[in-house]
Amino acid sequence: MVLALRAASVVAFLLLWEWAARVPISFAFPSPGATLAALVALVRSGALPAATLISLQSLLLGFGAAVLIGVPLGLVMGVVRPVGRVGRVYLDLLIALPTAALVPLVILSFGINVLSSAVIVFVFSAPFVIMNAYGGVRDVRPRLVEMARAFDASWGQLFTRIVLPSALPMILAGIRYALSRAFVGLIVAELLLSPFGLGRLIMSSRSMFEHDRMFATVLWTLLFAGTALAAVARVEARLLRWRA
Amino acid sequence: MAAREPGAAAGTAAPLPITVEAVSKAFGAVQALVDVDVRVRAGEFLSLIGPSGCGKTTLLKIMAGLVPADRGRVTIGERVVTGPGQECSVVFQDFALLPWATAQRNVEFGLLLRGVDPAARAARARGAIAKVGLGGFENAYPAQLSGGMQQRVGLARALAVNPRVLLMDEPFASIDEQTRRVFQDDLLGLWSQERKTVVLVTHSMEEAIYLSDRVVVLSPRPGRVHQTLDVPLPRPREAGDVRATAEFARLVDGLWKVLRKLQ
Repeated sequence: MVLALRAASVVAFLLLWEWAARVPISFAFPSPGATLAALVALVRSGALPAATLISLQSLLLGFGAAVLIGVPLGLVMGVVRPVGRVGRVYLDLLIALPTAALVPLVILSFGINVLSSAVIVFVFSAPFVIMNAYGGVRDVRPRLVEMARAFDASWGQLFTRIVLPSALPMILAGIRYALSRAFVGLIVAELLLSPFGLGRLIMSSRSMFEHDRMFATVLWTLLFAGTALAAVARVEARLLRWRA
Repeated sequence: MAAREPGAAAGTAAPLPITVEAVSKAFGAVQALVDVDVRVRAGEFLSLIGPSGCGKTTLLKIMAGLVPADRGRVTIGERVVTGPGQECSVVFQDFALLPWATAQRNVEFGLLLRGVDPAARAARARGAIAKVGLGGFENAYPAQLSGGMQQRVGLARALAVNPRVLLMDEPFASIDEQTRRVFQDDLLGLWSQERKTVVLVTHSMEEAIYLSDRVVVLSPRPGRVHQTLDVPLPRPREAGDVRATAEFARLVDGLWKVLRKLQ
């Protein structure tokens, strides 16, 4: 049932797209066929794989740092209340602000390179990792802590045996959401500044009026992000099997 | 770490007496307990009962070392209670099971915290699970078990560390009546096999009379010991038809008369 519905939705989407290309909305609007052909050509020429590889560097660097720094930071904020109270303010600001406004600042500070894209990816994604790790700790059932204390658990045991596993579902949900934000940050960074990566390919195709190539790159980016998100969701489901 | 393990030779830990002397406790402006004195004999089954808000759960938590008393002193065996101790196990009303762990892993939890090695842990947990009648459910998660079964896991977890004192906070309150009666009989059966000092907090008069050697009645806020009743029903009670006897009805009625005046 779900499978049939999914297939139907894809078909409907492609039909809608084909129709939109024929209307035409504008002379520049590429048809599904032209986009697919451009996609194949871009993969064959090596332009798309090369751009993907560069984007992947920024993504892994920025998102990896967001997870590696964000999770411990959020946990500390959750466990040490004063740190949490202070940190929350910055977190709320980072989440509420239009983060793209920080891009020029980052370029000024780091220059135009893979590192600055990575920094932007980090700024986009880290707040959500931190926020969820923090929230996960805050949501630990006090009764479970009491139970472990009744067994004379040490502080370290409380943390590793109760707090961490209790917070894990929220931490993982935060990581998954942060990954989608990381993709947004990546493309924003590359659209705005960098002479490389997928965003660059989108911009250069646009400026050359190669709209089928532009669309193909956008489609490729969506597939890339979708696959990465699905992979993370899979890991999440595996780690949280007990909830099924 | 092995030295920390209580009753290393499982099943030999002798029950300990508990002495509560002049214990008082306030939460902010609310005086929960005032000058409470209770002496629980080694191997005795004692119930704490009283109107809600009389501080009976607080008293149990003070015995468990989970809540510090403002004044007074609790002694378990030779140890003056200043925090949780290894000779005690607690059974909670809401079971307090780890939702991410199987029944087996939940029962192993206390042993894990005490540094028992994995093989011994698994064996002792399996033994405890069998004892409470849950054999075959080792790999079930709490969410897959009924309330009664979850509390059996909670009891197995408490027993697995071979405690000398068992503190139970309304353990049957969240379990339906039929399940509760069977569970109570099983608890009495277990208790007759391995004597432990048991303190049970309950609001059920029938439960208090059926299970206990003595019932301590606490008065409402601030909680004080109002009266202590002996329950001279012969044991074992679980095999016979004690609940249907005139003596049982008389004792429950006597307890009710005491409690009614406190409302």
